[in-house]
Amino acid sequence: MRSPFAYIPRPGPLQAASPGAAVAYLGALVVVAFLYSNPLVLLAAGAAAVLAGLLAGARTAVRAALRMGVALALLIVVVNALVVDRGQTVLARLGGWPLLGEVTITAEALVAGLSIGLRAAVAMVAFAVYSACVDPDRVLRALRPLAGRSALTATLVSRLVPVAAADAARLRDAAGLRGPGAAEVGKAPLARRLLAGSLDRAVDVAATLELRGYSLERGRPKRPHRSSQRRAIEGKKGLSAPKAFNRGSRFDRRFYLAGAVVLAAAVVGEVAGADEFEVYPAIAVGTGPATLALCALLVLAGLAPRRRRPHRRAAPASPAAAGSPKAVAALRGPGAAPLPEVPRV
Amino acid sequence: MSELTVRPGAVPALSAAGLGYSYPRSPAPALVDVSLDVAPGEFVVLAGRSGSGKSTLLRAACGLVPHFHGGRIEGEVGVAGLDAIACGPGELAAAVGYVAQDPETQVVSTTVGAEIGLPLELRGDPPASRARAVEEVALALAIPHLLDRAVDTLSGGELQRVALAAALVTRPRLVLLDEPTSQLDPVSGDELIWLLRRLNEEWGVAVLLAEHRLERCLAAADRVVSMAAGAIVFDGAPAEFLGWARAADPALETPAARLFSLAGIDPLPVGVRAARLRLTSLRASGAGTPAPSTRQAEGAGGPACAPVVPTAAGPVTAVPHPGKGVGARVRPPRRPPVGEQPALSVASLSVELVGDEAPRDVLRGVDLRVDRGERVALMGRNGAGKSTLLKTAAGLLDPVRGKAEAPGGIALLTQNPGDFLVRERVGDELPGPVGEAALHAVGLEHAADADPRDLSGGERQRLALAVTLAGRMEGEALPGLVALDEPTRGMDWARKDDLVALIERLATAGAAVVVATHDVEFAAGFAERVVLLGDGVTIADGPAGEILSGGWYFATEVARVLDLPGVVTPEQGAAALAGRPPGEFANQRLTNPPGREGR
Repeated sequence: MRSPFAYIPRPGPLQAASPGAAVAYLGALVVVAFLYSNPLVLLAAGAAAVLAGLLAGARTAVRAALRMGVALALLIVVVNALVVDRGQTVLARLGGWPLLGEVTITAEALVAGLSIGLRAAVAMVAFAVYSACVDPDRVLRALRPLAGRSALTATLVSRLVPVAAADAARLRDAAGLRGPGAAEVGKAPLARRLLAGSLDRAVDVAATLELRGYSLERGRPKRPHRSSQRRAIEGKKGLSAPKAFNRGSRFDRRFYLAGAVVLAAAVVGEVAGADEFEVYPAIAVGTGPATLALCALLVLAGLAPRRRRPHRRAAPASPAAAGSPKAVAALRGPGAAPLPEVPRV
Repeated sequence: MSELTVRPGAVPALSAAGLGYSYPRSPAPALVDVSLDVAPGEFVVLAGRSGSGKSTLLRAACGLVPHFHGGRIEGEVGVAGLDAIACGPGELAAAVGYVAQDPETQVVSTTVGAEIGLPLELRGDPPASRARAVEEVALALAIPHLLDRAVDTLSGGELQRVALAAALVTRPRLVLLDEPTSQLDPVSGDELIWLLRRLNEEWGVAVLLAEHRLERCLAAADRVVSMAAGAIVFDGAPAEFLGWARAADPALETPAARLFSLAGIDPLPVGVRAARLRLTSLRASGAGTPAPSTRQAEGAGGPACAPVVPTAAGPVTAVPHPGKGVGARVRPPRRPPVGEQPALSVASLSVELVGDEAPRDVLRGVDLRVDRGERVALMGRNGAGKSTLLKTAAGLLDPVRGKAEAPGGIALLTQNPGDFLVRERVGDELPGPVGEAALHAVGLEHAADADPRDLSGGERQRLALAVTLAGRMEGEALPGLVALDEPTRGMDWARKDDLVALIERLATAGAAVVVATHDVEFAAGFAERVVLLGDGVTIADGPAGEILSGGWYFATEVARVLDLPGVVTPEQGAAALAGRPPGEFANQRLTNPPGREGR
C-alpha cells in the first residue's frame, strides 16, 4: 500500500515548479509558523498550507497530515496543561499526581499548548504537501552536483522506505494466514525477517547500480557550459530539449515570489506588532490591523498553486458553426478578399 | 544453427570460451566449460531446467559474475570486444543490458523518467542527449505516457517494460533477459516477446533470453541454446531443438511439439503458425485434419464428420468430444451432495483499493460458488482482480459491497512464499509432531534442518503451503478452501508436476483448490474449471476444456493449433488427431507424460 505522503506526479503548477521554488514557497509558510506564536497567524499559515495542498491535488496527503497534526497538537495541549500550572483562569484542580505533583488546569496553559501544537501541525501539513507534490528525483538531481553519492543514497532511501513498508504489510498479512500448527510469529521474528528482506533488496539494488554504471569513475555528471546547453537546446547538434531536460519551470517565478512576499510580510509584521500574543498571566491575542493583514496575505498565498485557466476565445455555439462562413470570415484579416457566397443546398 | 553467424574478424555480441564458474562456498560448479558465440543481431533463447546455469551464464555475460558475486571463474567471456572478466559490470553497461526476473528488484528511482535516464546520468552524458535517449527508448517500448509516473504505481507488465527501457537506453549491443515473462499475463508476455523481436530486427540488438515457457518465445528465436548442470547440451535452430528435446529431455518440449510427437507428425512445429501450416498441408495432401468448421458442427449438436489425417503413424480420425473433451485426464467435477455448504461463496462482491488519485474499483459485483473437491483456475490479465478476490475471501480486505465467505475456513498462500518464512530453520517454522506431519505432507521432511532461504523456489512454495496448512491437513481440520496465488512463477515443468500432485491430494481429501494463475498450460493440467476475470467482473466461468480452448490469449498452445472445443492438452489433441477413444491417454499424467518420468 502506498504511503499517503508519497509523491504522485500530477499536472499542477506546484508539481511542475522546480524543487527550489517549491521549497521556497512551502518553507516560507513553515518559517512563519516558527516565527509567530499568535494562534490567528498560525491558523492562517495552516490554512495556506492546506489550501496549497488541496489546489495541488494532494488531498490524501493533506488529510493524513491533518489527522496526524491535530492528534499531535492535542497531545501537546494535554501535556502542557498537565505540566504547566501558570495562568489566572483555573479550569480544574486535579489534586496530587505521581511525578507531576499538584495538577492545575488553566485556560492559559491550554492556549499556550494549542499555539505550540498549531505550529507543529502547520509544519506537518507543509511537509506533507512538499512530499506529495515535489518529485524527489528532481530534488536529488538538483543536489547531485553538490554531493552525488549522498544524493543517490537519499534517492534509494526515498524509494526503498515505501517498499519496506509494503513488505511489512505483506509479512503481517502472511503472519495472519499461518496454520494453527505453525510456529507463532512474534514481533521479533517479523522484524528480523523484514531486516533480512531489506538486506536482500539492498543487494539487488547494489547489483542494479553496478549494471547501470554506478562504479564508473566518470559517473559524476558534468555541468555543461551554459552556451553549449543552449546550442543543444537550439538543435544545432540535432538534439531537442524534451521536458526531462527542463531545469526550470514557468511557475518558478510565481512560487519564489509568493515565498518572498510571505517572508517579507512576516518580517514586517513582526516589526509592526502582528505577533501580539500573551498567554501568561492572562490570554491576550492580538487582532490588530497588522495581524489581520498578515493573516489575509497568508491565506492568499495559499492560492499560489492554483492553475490558471487558459484564455480562450468564445467558442462557436455549435460544432457546425465552427466552420461556418461567419467563423471563417472572423478569422480572416481585414485586408483579405471577401469570401464568395456559397449557395445553400 | 541460425543464419546469423559471426563473420570472420567480426566482433561477436557475446563470446564465451571454456567458461567455468563456481559460486563462493558452493561445492558444485554453476558453469562447466561453456563455449558460446552470439552474433550481432541474433535472437537466442536459453532453455533448461531450474538450476541448469542459465541465470549464471547471463550474470557472467553482464559482469555480475564474478565481480559482484565473487567465486572462482576460469575461461574467457567477451561482450562486444570487451573482456567481461577484466571489466566490471559498470564498464560493460554501455555494451550490455540486463533485465532480471523480478523488475521490482531492479528499479532504484521513484519516477519512470528518472529510472530510464539513470544509466546515462551515471555515465556522465549531458542532459540534452540524456533527454533524447530517454524519449526515444520510451517511444520504442511504447511507454512515453509512463515517463512522469511513479514507479510504485505501475503494473508488473509496465514495470518490466521500464526495466527493459533502462537496459536499452544506452543502446547496448546485447540485451540479456532472465525469465522476463514469468510475472506477466499471457497478453503482456506475448507483447514483450514480440517487442524484443522488433527491437532485435530494427535496432540490431542481440538478445539472449532465458525462459521456461518456451512455447511463448521459440517462434521469435533464431537459435536455441539448452543447458543442463551448468553445461551447454544443445545449440541449434529452434526446430532442431524440438527434435533434440523429444529425445533427450521431453520436459523442454513445447505443447505443440508434444502434440505432434504424440500424433506421430514430423517435423515438430516451432510455434502455432508452423503447426497450423503443417496440419493444413497434411489436410491438403490427404483427407484432412479436424477442420475449424468442426467447432460449428459440434455446437450444432455433434460433429458432422470425422476427418482423417494421414500421418507417419497412419491415418488418424478426429473423434467426438462430449463434455470436457477428448482424452480428458483431469478428474471430472465432483457433484456436491445437495445442501452441502460451498467452500467459497462470493455474492455481489465489490472491492475498492486506494489508487493514485481515488479509490479504484478492483472487483465489481462478482458472484462465484466453489464446492469442496473442485479444482479451479482463476485467470485474467494483470490487475483483473484475482488476488483481490482471494484476499477478500481470506478476510485481508474489506468489501465495499457484497460478501466473500469460506465457511469451512481458508488457507491462502499469497504470491510471495518468502513472506511465510520468518525463521532460519525449516523445523522452527513447523515445530512438533503437527509440524512434522505438515512437512511430510508436502514432501519436505528431509529438509527440517535447512535454512528456508537455501531451498529451491518450488520447495519454498511447498514449505509456505505447509505453514498455512499446519495443524489442519487432515479430516475435519482441513480447510474447505485452499487458495494459491500465482504459485508457478519461475517454476519449470518438474516443479509444476509436484504442485499438481499436491493439488490433487488436497482436492481428493475434500478441499476446494483455487489457483490464481497466468499459466494456461498449468491451468489445463490441474483445473477442472476455469473462472476468467476481466476488469473486476467474471467474464467466463466453465469447464477448463471449454474456457481454455475458446479464445486466443487465454488458450493453450494446443487449443490454438487445433481450434477444437475442449481440446487443450497435447494428450487430448493427439487423441483427437488419432481418432482414439477419449480415455486413451487418461491413464498418463498430463504434466508427466511418457519420456518425462525421469525428471
